[in-house]
Amino acid sequence: MVLNVKKISKNFGGIQALTDVSFSINEGEILGIIGPNGAGKTTMFNMITSFYTPSSGEITFKDEVISGLKPHKITDKGICRTFQNIRLFPEMTVLDNVLVGTHSRTVSGVLKSVLRTKSQKQEENNIRAKAMDLLETVNLLDQYDDIAKNLSYGQQRRLEIARALASDPKLILLDEPAAGMNERETAELHHLIMKIKEMGITILLIEHDMPLVMKTCDRLVVLNFGKKIAEGDPEEIQKDPEVIKAYLGTEEDDESA
Amino acid sequence: MLGEFINPYYLQVASFILINIILALSIYITLASGQLSLGSAGFMAIGAYTTALLTTNFEVSIIVGIIAGTLLAGILGIIIGIPSLRLTGVFLAIATLGFGEIVRVVLINTEEITRGAIGISGIPQLGKEILTFFEGFGFDPNNLGLTPNQFVFSAIFLVLLIIDILLIWFFLRQKNSRVGRAYSAINMDEDAAATMGINVTYYKVLSFTQGAILAGFAGALYAHVLSYISPADFSYHKAVEILVFSVFGGSEVVVGAIFGASFLTLLPEILRSISDYRFMIYGVLLVVMMAYRPQGIIDERMLRWVKKRFKGGKKDGTKREEN
Amino acid sequence: MFLEQLINGLTTGSIYAMVALGYTLVFGVLGIINMAHGEIFMFGAFMGVVITTTFGLPLWLAFLVAAIVTGIMGYLLELLALRPLRKSSESSHLAPLISTIGVSIFLENAADQYFGSGNHPVESGWLDTSFTIGSVTIYTVQLVIFFIAIALMIGLSYWLLKTKGGKALRATAEDLDTASLLGVNTKRMITATVVLASVIGGIAGILVGMAFSSVNPQMGLAIGLKGLAIIILGGMGSVKGAVVGGMILGLSETVIVAIGLSGYRDAIAFVMIIIILLLRPQGLFGKKTA
Repeated sequence: MVLNVKKISKNFGGIQALTDVSFSINEGEILGIIGPNGAGKTTMFNMITSFYTPSSGEITFKDEVISGLKPHKITDKGICRTFQNIRLFPEMTVLDNVLVGTHSRTVSGVLKSVLRTKSQKQEENNIRAKAMDLLETVNLLDQYDDIAKNLSYGQQRRLEIARALASDPKLILLDEPAAGMNERETAELHHLIMKIKEMGITILLIEHDMPLVMKTCDRLVVLNFGKKIAEGDPEEIQKDPEVIKAYLGTEEDDESA
Repeated sequence: MLGEFINPYYLQVASFILINIILALSIYITLASGQLSLGSAGFMAIGAYTTALLTTNFEVSIIVGIIAGTLLAGILGIIIGIPSLRLTGVFLAIATLGFGEIVRVVLINTEEITRGAIGISGIPQLGKEILTFFEGFGFDPNNLGLTPNQFVFSAIFLVLLIIDILLIWFFLRQKNSRVGRAYSAINMDEDAAATMGINVTYYKVLSFTQGAILAGFAGALYAHVLSYISPADFSYHKAVEILVFSVFGGSEVVVGAIFGASFLTLLPEILRSISDYRFMIYGVLLVVMMAYRPQGIIDERMLRWVKKRFKGGKKDGTKREEN
Repeated sequence: MFLEQLINGLTTGSIYAMVALGYTLVFGVLGIINMAHGEIFMFGAFMGVVITTTFGLPLWLAFLVAAIVTGIMGYLLELLALRPLRKSSESSHLAPLISTIGVSIFLENAADQYFGSGNHPVESGWLDTSFTIGSVTIYTVQLVIFFIAIALMIGLSYWLLKTKGGKALRATAEDLDTASLLGVNTKRMITATVVLASVIGGIAGILVGMAFSSVNPQMGLAIGLKGLAIIILGGMGSVKGAVVGGMILGLSETVIVAIGLSGYRDAIAFVMIIIILLLRPQGLFGKKTA
C-alpha cells in the first residue's frame, strides 16, 4: 500500500466538501477518482498534496503520516501532481519548467551555484540530460527552447506531466489530464500514462473522459457530494446502480463540465 | 600623459553609476522572487551609518566597517522579511516603506549618536585611504603622471568597478542555477513552485535578504565615497529612485539593472536642464512603463532574440545560457 | 489638560480617518493600494493655501476648489495610471502599486516646483479663535474640523448603505464581474470611486492645513503613510476600520507628544503596522482570507 487515505473530511466555512472518505492505492496501480463536478475530487488532491489540511482524518504515505506537512515536503516524500487548470511557469522555457521540477532532487545552494563547483556542474548536466529524456517521453523534445505559454493546450498538459515526473515521484496525481484534448491527443495520453506506469510509478487519476478512465484505470473510486459511493474495478463500477444514479441524477445541473 | 585623460568629474559620475548599479541589483533580486521592497533606502542607511559611526568613532578600518554595515543590513533584512512574508505583496511594500521611514526618524532623533539631521561628516574617504596605504610603501602618484586628486578618484572608480563586476558575475550565475530557477518559479506561481518541492518561505526570505545586503553594502560604499552622509540621503525619494533604475532598465534581467542605473544616472548629468525635473520625469516613467512595458526596456525576450541572432539556434540541452 | 489632549487626539484622529477612507474605498473596489492618495491630499491642502493666503478669498471657496481640483486629479489618475493596466492582461499585481508610486513622486515634485518647498500657512480667518470652558481651552478650528469630518463620514456611510449609487459601489467592491453581470456599469463605478476617494482626500487636506496651519509638499507622504498604517490596522477595505483606526492613531500620537517624545510621533504609525502585521494580519475589522 503506497497511499492510505483514512476517513478524511473537509469543511469550508460550513460547506462540507468531503465526508469520511477512505481509500488506498497499491504500489504500481492506476487508481481513478471519478464523480460529477463538485464531488470533491480536486479537494481530495489538494488534501493529499497538503494545500489544505483535513478537518478530520489522516493520510499516510508509505506508513508515514503526511497530512499537515508543508506542500514542498510532500514533493520531497515522492508525491507530485498536475493541475486541473494548467499551472506551468508561463514565461519560462519548456526545458526550464522541467528543470524546476528537479528541485527537490538536487541540492546546490547559492555558493555552489555561483562558484560552479564540480558537483554543481555534474548536477546541472545530470538534470539537463534527465529533463531532455523526459521531454522526449512526453514528445516535446523539439519544443525544449520554446516559451511555455506559447505551447498548444495539449502540449502544455504534457509538459506539466513531464515537470511532475522530474521530481522522481513514487506517486503521481493527474488532475483531468485529458481536459481540452482531441481524440488523437487523448489516445497519446493513454500511452503516456501506461509508460509512466511502466516506470514503476503509482498513478492517481481524476478524469471525466469515461472511455479513457475505463481503458486506463485498474481500479476506481467514485465520489458524489463529498462521499465515497463506490469502489471497484471498471466493470463493477459501470454496473453499480448507485454510480449510474449519481451520474444520471446530476446530469442536468452539471452540464458545465 | 595618463593624467591628461583622467578627469575627476567623469570618474565621480562613473562611481555614482557603479553604486547605483548595486542598488538597482538590490531591487532586481527581490523582484526576482516577486517581492517589491521600498525599504532599500532604509537598508542603505543602515549600511552607511554603521560604517560611518564605526570608522569615525572607533578608528575601525574601512573594510571592517563596510562588512559590519552590510551584515547588519542583512540581519535586519531577515527580521523584516520573515513576518512580512505572511502577507501579500502590497503589505510587504508598505511594511518596507514603513521600515525606511522608521530608520530615518530614528536617525534624526538620536542626535547624541548620529548628529541628527545634520549628518556625519569626515568619514574616511575610500580613495584617500588607498592613497595613504600606498604612500606607506613609498608610492607617489606623480610616478604615474597623476595628481593625488586624480589618483584618489581613479582608485575609487577601480575598486567599485571590480566590486560591480564581481556582483554581476555572481547574480548572472545565480540566475542560471537551481536557486535562480526557484526564484522565478515563485515569481510566476507560488503554489506551483511549492508543488515542485520549492520551499517558498526560505527562498523568499533569501531573496529579500540578498536585496537588503546589497542595499546595505551600497550604502556603506556611498558613505566612504562621499565621506558625508545625512538622513536626507536615504529618504523615500531615494527608495523610489532605486526602484525606477530597475523598473525602467528591465526588472527581469541583470542587464536591466545595469542599463537602468547607468542611463538614469547619466541623463541628468548630460541634460543639466532636466536635473530639477528629475523626479517628475521618474514619476512619469514609472506610469508609462507600467502601462506599456511593465518588464522594463530590456527583457528576457529581447536577450533571447539577441542570443539567437548572434549564436544561431543550437539544439543542445546541456548548453549554458547567461543573461 | 486631559480633556484638551483628548480633543486634540480626536481632531487629529478624525482627519487621519478621512485620509484612510480614501485608501479603503479604492482598495475595496479595485483591490489596489493607491500610493498617490497622499499627494492628492496634499494638493487639496495647497488649494487651501492658494485660495485663502495667496488670493485672500474665503475658506468655503477653498473647500469647493479643493474638491473640484482633487476630483479632477482622481479622474486623471484613474484614466492615465490605472485603466491602462487593467487592459493589459500580462501586468503583474505589482503594476498598480508601482504606477501609483510614479504618480505620487510626480505630484510631490510638481508641488515642490510650483508651490515651493517649505511650510505654507492656511488662513482660517475667524475660525482662528479659542474659547475656554472651565479650565479647558478649545480652538474653534478644532471643532469645525471634527464636525466636518464626522459629517462626511456619516454622509458617506449613509450613501454607501442606503442609496442606489452606494449599493452599486458596494456590489462592485464585492465582486466586479458579478456586479457587471447585474447591469452595474463597473467602469463608471471604478472611476466614481477613485474620484470620490480623491475628493474626500482633498477636503481632508484643507482640514489638515487648518489644524496644523502648515502645508508642504512632503506632507502627502507623511500623512499618506499614516493612512496606510490605519487601513492595515483597521482592515483593508473596511470603512469602520478606517474610522476606528484613525481615532486610535490620533489618540496614541497625542499621548506620545504629551509624554515628551514628540520626535517619534511619526514613527508610531509604523510600529503599529509591524505589531498588527505580526499579531492580526487581517486588521481589526478585516475579513480573514484563505
